[in-house]
Amino acid sequence: MMTSVVESWIESPLKRFVEDAEVDLALLMHPSGQVLAQHGFARSMDVMSACALAAGIYATSAELGRMLEGRPFRGIHQVGTERQLFLAEAHSPRGAYIFVTVFGAESSLGLVRLYFDELVVRISEAAPPEGPAPEPALTEHFERDLNRNLAVLFGRA
Amino acid sequence: MSLVNYATREITCKIVYYGPGRSGKTTNLHYIYSQVPEDRRGNMVSLATQTDRTLFFDFLPLDLGSISGFTTKFQLYTVPGQVYYQTTRRLVLQGADGVVFVADSQARQREENIESFQDLHANLSEQGVDPRSMPLVVQYNKQDLPKDLILPVSELSDAINFRGVSEYSADALHGPGVFETLRGISEIVLRRLSAGGSSGAASSAVSR
Repeated sequence: MMTSVVESWIESPLKRFVEDAEVDLALLMHPSGQVLAQHGFARSMDVMSACALAAGIYATSAELGRMLEGRPFRGIHQVGTERQLFLAEAHSPRGAYIFVTVFGAESSLGLVRLYFDELVVRISEAAPPEGPAPEPALTEHFERDLNRNLAVLFGRA
Repeated sequence: MSLVNYATREITCKIVYYGPGRSGKTTNLHYIYSQVPEDRRGNMVSLATQTDRTLFFDFLPLDLGSISGFTTKFQLYTVPGQVYYQTTRRLVLQGADGVVFVADSQARQREENIESFQDLHANLSEQGVDPRSMPLVVQYNKQDLPKDLILPVSELSDAINFRGVSEYSADALHGPGVFETLRGISEIVLRRLSAGGSSGAASSAVSR
C-alpha cells in the first residue's frame, strides 16, 4: 500500500501509525477537506472525495456536539460489517487537522485510539514553524495553459 | 485554502457554487461531470434528500492538467440553497478559494437571489474572510426560459452584482454558459495564486 504526503514532515508519523495500528486506510487533512497525507488509496480523485466526505462528517458532528454539549465531540467511531472507521481532530502548532482511518479485523478501536494519541504527539513534534508567505506559484501567462486544458476537458479542443 | 506542493508540483483549489435553492448549482456540476473525460474527474458525490434536493453538498474533483508545470486540481462543491441550511452552507464555504454565485433568472426569484447573495457575504465575514477579496463570479442561470418568466441580465446585474464581478448568462441544464463560468472562476483563482496572494485564508505552500 502506498503512502503519499503533501507535506514531507507528516510522512514519518503517518507511516509509523499505519504500521503500529495495522490500519487499511489513513487520511490527514485540513478541516476544509484538503488532503495533507494519505495511506491506502490508489487514485488521487478517490482521496479528494474521501476527504470531502470526512470533512463533512467532522464538521456536522462538531456542530452537533456544540449544540448538545456546548463543545465539539472529540472523535467518531462507526462500525461496518467488515471494517470500522475512526475520525478525530489532531492538533498541532500549525493548527487543527482532521484524521480519519479505516481498519479491519487485524486492528481494534482501542489500538487505533492508542496509536492515534501517539500520532498527535509525533505530528506536534515534527511540525516545522510556519514558513514565509508563499511565493507566486504560476507564471504570469498561465492563462494559455488553463484555456487549453479546459478546452480539452470540455471537448472543445 | 489553495494547497501548493512545490515538491510534487501540485496545486489544489476549492471552488464553491453558491446560490438560492433550485437555482441550478447541482445542475452545473452534473453538466461538468457529463462533459469531462472519466480519467480527468472523480466520482460525483451528492449528499441529497430522496427528492434530490441537496442536503449537505455535492462534490466533484477535477484534474485540470498541467498549468505552468503544476498539476492543477479543482474541487467543486455546491451548498444547499434552502434558507434553513445556513449552518451547512457555512461549513462547506470553509477554506474556499473561489465562489460561483448561481442566480435564478426567474423574475419571481429576484428577492431569493438578493437574500442568498447577502447570506454569502455574511457567511464569509463570519469566517474572517473579507468578501471583497474572495474571487467571485456570478452566473445568471435559466436564461433559456421564456422571456416573460425571466429578468434580463442587465436587470439581474443591477439587483445582484453590485461588486461588478465577471458575470455569465447560462442554461446549465443544456450547457451554455457552464464552461465559461468555470473558466472565469478558474482564471481569477489561479491569477490570485500567480500573484502570490490568497483569499483571506492563507495559501498553504509546502515542501520544496
